[in-house]
Amino acid sequence: MKNRLAAGLTAFAAALVLHAGPAAADIESVTFSGFGTLGVVRSDAADLQFVRVGTEAPGSGRLNFGSDSVLGVQGNFGFGNGTEAVVQVLARHTPKHDYIPRAALAFISFAPSPEFTLRAGRLRVPAFMLSDSLDVNYAHSWVRPPVEVYALNPFADLDGIDLLYRTRIADVDLELHPYFGRSRVDIAHYGHASLSRLRGLNIGLSKGPLTLHLGYSRARLDLRWGDPEFDRLQHALGAFPQGRLMLAEMQGNGASASFTSAGFHWDDNRWQLIGEYAVRRTSAFVNSASGWHLTIGRHVGATTPYLRFARNRQSSPIVSRNLSMGLPEIDAFNASRNNGQRSIGAGLRWDLHPNAAMKVELARSRIENDGWGAFYPRGDILSTRVSGRTVNTLSLSIDVVF
Amino acid sequence: MWSSDRFGSPSCWIALLVVLLALGAHPAHAEEVLIVTARTGTVETLSRDEAEQLYLGRRATLATRISMLLDLPPGRTRDHFYRTLTDKNPSQIRAYWSRMVFTGRALPPKEAADAGDARRLLLENPSAIGYLPGRYADDPELRILLRLE
Repeated sequence: MKNRLAAGLTAFAAALVLHAGPAAADIESVTFSGFGTLGVVRSDAADLQFVRVGTEAPGSGRLNFGSDSVLGVQGNFGFGNGTEAVVQVLARHTPKHDYIPRAALAFISFAPSPEFTLRAGRLRVPAFMLSDSLDVNYAHSWVRPPVEVYALNPFADLDGIDLLYRTRIADVDLELHPYFGRSRVDIAHYGHASLSRLRGLNIGLSKGPLTLHLGYSRARLDLRWGDPEFDRLQHALGAFPQGRLMLAEMQGNGASASFTSAGFHWDDNRWQLIGEYAVRRTSAFVNSASGWHLTIGRHVGATTPYLRFARNRQSSPIVSRNLSMGLPEIDAFNASRNNGQRSIGAGLRWDLHPNAAMKVELARSRIENDGWGAFYPRGDILSTRVSGRTVNTLSLSIDVVF
Repeated sequence: MWSSDRFGSPSCWIALLVVLLALGAHPAHAEEVLIVTARTGTVETLSRDEAEQLYLGRRATLATRISMLLDLPPGRTRDHFYRTLTDKNPSQIRAYWSRMVFTGRALPPKEAADAGDARRLLLENPSAIGYLPGRYADDPELRILLRLE
């Protein structure tokens, strides 16, 4: 349904553009631009594969091109008087194992004054500090923003409205960003989840080299898992009353979810320091967890070597211990949906061209004893041990903007 | 492995690399950059705060409407302009703008082919703002809104 909404908005924007011929509202300006990443990740564990977010479809090869590679093309259509339409089409590996492009942005914006911009249509869910530019790797020093924080919210598309209020108080730039709408995401292989009545507020403060971010949002969460292992579990649990109680915690409708984050970004031409703390609280279907990352980087000519630390930690599992009665199958279900891990990464961004950056990162991740971290078995799910392991990953990518 | 006798000592190579990287980071040139508009244009004043907000996409226009914000192609004047006005280096500016554009917040300034082209566009569009190197200071057809050193 929301896809139809996005398609409708895209068509609306396109219609505005096409009909603005001799008669209708004139397009004052048209700008096309784009961004892309070709990235590959390899882990040193032959039986495990890196996954960027839990909803991702795991591949089968030793080299994973699906996690980071992305291509986006955008058109900005200005109609004058502060009215603009923006359409961004984005292709990246989907949980359904294809690269079918989707509308990542399709909105009409109106700026009644220099401070206010009102936007309606397909927008980004700005849950955390860098959520709205998660696909634009060129904007960041890392190969990808740390998964320990960003896997906490896989919802990317906001179908709704938002308001950007930007002003300057003394020498501090303030951005207030309230938003409202809904979001839907596919889950590998045939599952899906949605956030409805999603409402949130972000506050951004910038002064010279320092930017601070605070964000809070909450929504109603509906979720259906969609993989053969879960189907088998569901079938088995459905056969007895206690099992059905467990199932009600695993998937269904009407859970509540909230996302809170606080972060900072310092960049003074020599040093780059980035940190963020984020919390996800849910009443059911996904675990409650928190994550943080801290990065220190140094600009040396056209390169930025960096060191980053990150952790994702579960505060309560999907099915509580009281309810699961220690059943190994439930423990396995909980663990496979717990991204808990800590990692250290050393990497380098090299601005090799005004429109291209090359990045490399070597990371060492210690997966929590009751989680799967950012990894997924390449082979048989039941016989592969993921929890408690230490995995090294090497990531290479080239980002371009055009 | 590194073979010292074949390629020279590693420390020589590291020293060379450091020198090359240092050369890559140009020191700021003590050169003036002017933020200008057409002499006959509608924009009469511009504060440094407003200029910084405009060139960082944090506001789209002024109280007096701006029809066009002009940029110069990558090079010394542009690098010096952004360093002076925003304290950001060229790659920081590009990364910053990619975030602004692809989150749908703002569009970057329009890039002129060169300073002469920027001057031509300024004269053709009376509510346009741009920046030019200091040698345009005495141009009778331009109004200087701000001097950046």
